[in-house]
Amino acid sequence: MTRLSCSAVALLGLLLSGCETFRSYETELTAVNQHIQAGDVDAALVLLEKNNSGDDKDLLYYLEKGELLRTKGDLDASQAAWAVADRTVTQWEDTIKADPEKYLAEFGSLLVNDKVRRYEGYDYEKVMLTTQMALNHLARGHFEQARTDIKKTHEREAFISELRDREYLKREEEAEAKGITAQYTDLQGYPVQTLEAPEVLSLKNSYQSAFSHYLAGFIYEALGEKGLAAPGYRKAIELHPNEPLLEQALVQLDAPAPGSGQSDVLIVLQAGLAPARDSVRIPLPIPTTTGLIITPLSFPVIKSELGSGLQGGVLLDGEALPLVQLNNTDAMSRRALRDDMPGIILRTSVRAISRSVLQKQLNDNVSPLAGLAVGVFSAVTEGADERTWRTLPDQTLVARLRLPHGEHLITLPNGQQAQVKVDQAFQVVALRMIGSQAFAASPAVQITPSTPTSLAQAL
Amino acid sequence: MSIRILALLTAAAMLTGCASTASPVLGGGNISYGDTKAIELVTNEFGSTDLQSIAESMARSLAQSGVLQARPVIQVYDVKNKTSEYIDTREITTSIKTQLMKSGTARFASDNTDMQSQVDQLKLQNQSGLYKDATVSQMGNMVAAKYRLEGSISSIVKRSSDYKDVFYKFSLQLVDVETGLAEWMDEKEIRKTTER
Repeated sequence: MTRLSCSAVALLGLLLSGCETFRSYETELTAVNQHIQAGDVDAALVLLEKNNSGDDKDLLYYLEKGELLRTKGDLDASQAAWAVADRTVTQWEDTIKADPEKYLAEFGSLLVNDKVRRYEGYDYEKVMLTTQMALNHLARGHFEQARTDIKKTHEREAFISELRDREYLKREEEAEAKGITAQYTDLQGYPVQTLEAPEVLSLKNSYQSAFSHYLAGFIYEALGEKGLAAPGYRKAIELHPNEPLLEQALVQLDAPAPGSGQSDVLIVLQAGLAPARDSVRIPLPIPTTTGLIITPLSFPVIKSELGSGLQGGVLLDGEALPLVQLNNTDAMSRRALRDDMPGIILRTSVRAISRSVLQKQLNDNVSPLAGLAVGVFSAVTEGADERTWRTLPDQTLVARLRLPHGEHLITLPNGQQAQVKVDQAFQVVALRMIGSQAFAASPAVQITPSTPTSLAQAL
Repeated sequence: MSIRILALLTAAAMLTGCASTASPVLGGGNISYGDTKAIELVTNEFGSTDLQSIAESMARSLAQSGVLQARPVIQVYDVKNKTSEYIDTREITTSIKTQLMKSGTARFASDNTDMQSQVDQLKLQNQSGLYKDATVSQMGNMVAAKYRLEGSISSIVKRSSDYKDVFYKFSLQLVDVETGLAEWMDEKEIRKTTER
């Protein structure tokens, strides 16, 4: 067997490695999400397990499982699943901290398709993981435990920020060295407008969440740590400027704590599902030894989850309650893709160049059939990475107010009502809406079905 | 010759003795203990070296100021964090308190965080009926502070494509509670620059 034949076999092996190549994550999760939208979280969990029956479960499985269990109200199991996900992210961090140059050097030299790589998680997912873990603790009023997770959130965010600064610089140098100058705006037929929307461009980056920082401020304030609460609110203001709710939090930080029988309540409404990733094939000029050739290559696009967001208003004890959106996963996901696109173009082009070189050499030196086989195989297996945390809430909206201790009633846009027991000095009331279904993980919140009166009130 | 052998044996015995006094080490790998006073330059965010240098500088300045006569009682307030960085300012004041306490120059009243525990304990002793009267701490004997210690930390961050420059300013003042006069004040400035 010649060296070329060996290379061909090795390349095919790489292309085939793992069933990830042929797995359609989006198809799997569309079915899972249909169960949630129908209100059957147990069926969604069964399907998730069925789709991940192997022993070697990845980060994405634990992210989805934790969110489904949280939606179901099983906080202990949700926390256990997310703890595994968190350990995986911590290992990723530790590996990079041990040898950052190795991580950065590997960046542009990957011969395997992105979707075959072990799922690392997008930066905003890593930040939202520990934010959601903090919400799990807050559902039970455990502020000290929530503090641990929220501290991890902003420490992780600082680490990601430092890493990406260095990575983007390195990527520019590599693209220049390899002569790859294409940008996503050059991709004919690519839906550029999805990455150029105002809500995407207004984000400072893909991973900093105004909600995570505001929640950090609230947790630290509840624990009496105003020195740490202030930067939480300040960072939220930097990320979401001119928002009175956020500015008020900073101004009120030195105000007296709630008096006896009063509670400082943060209502958190998370609505919808994170967007999907799909694949589009775009012809791109690739530099080869014989000049530029036009090759169709696959690139990811973001597909927003339509109709799962919040439609309509919310009432508290019969009065309209204005909510402020602090997190938009759809925009963060598109911003992540926008920032990753130069790297995706670089890696996809490098793979295409390697394949074309191998194909030509097989054609010339082994047999035209061998070259054709590589070409056919590439066409079948090359596709953009569709994996992403799909059960993550799309929008996070908040309202903050002082309420007297006792029972309160929140009426949701679909007419369902949440009976809330307020009895703590500081309390977080978290609700989840997916389609027409409402869920609450906290033992202090009871969801009741809609009645004609409540539906009429909500509308 | 036998003297040489004896000397060697003695040396070997001494060395063995030295080795046997060290604690055994379990595991290993990439874990090691570092010098807690080592200058930390991992990132240019607020770090352990900044905390230590601020606390040392402020404690020394206050102890040497001559204001603290006859170990006065001080109430420590939270240092206001005016930066956008998650700096645990309570750790700075705890370090300053510890150093002043160790030097014997001041005593400290229960601060905001300790007060609830202090009140709870007094109530428990006096109202629960669980304790012998002779051992119960009496209500109304807590010592009020002569001074309050308060301060702030602020920062100026400048970035360019090549540099990140962070300038921290930590200010602390000691105010006489009765007169409202600031009796002592000091500042510590730190500049950290990173070249990308």
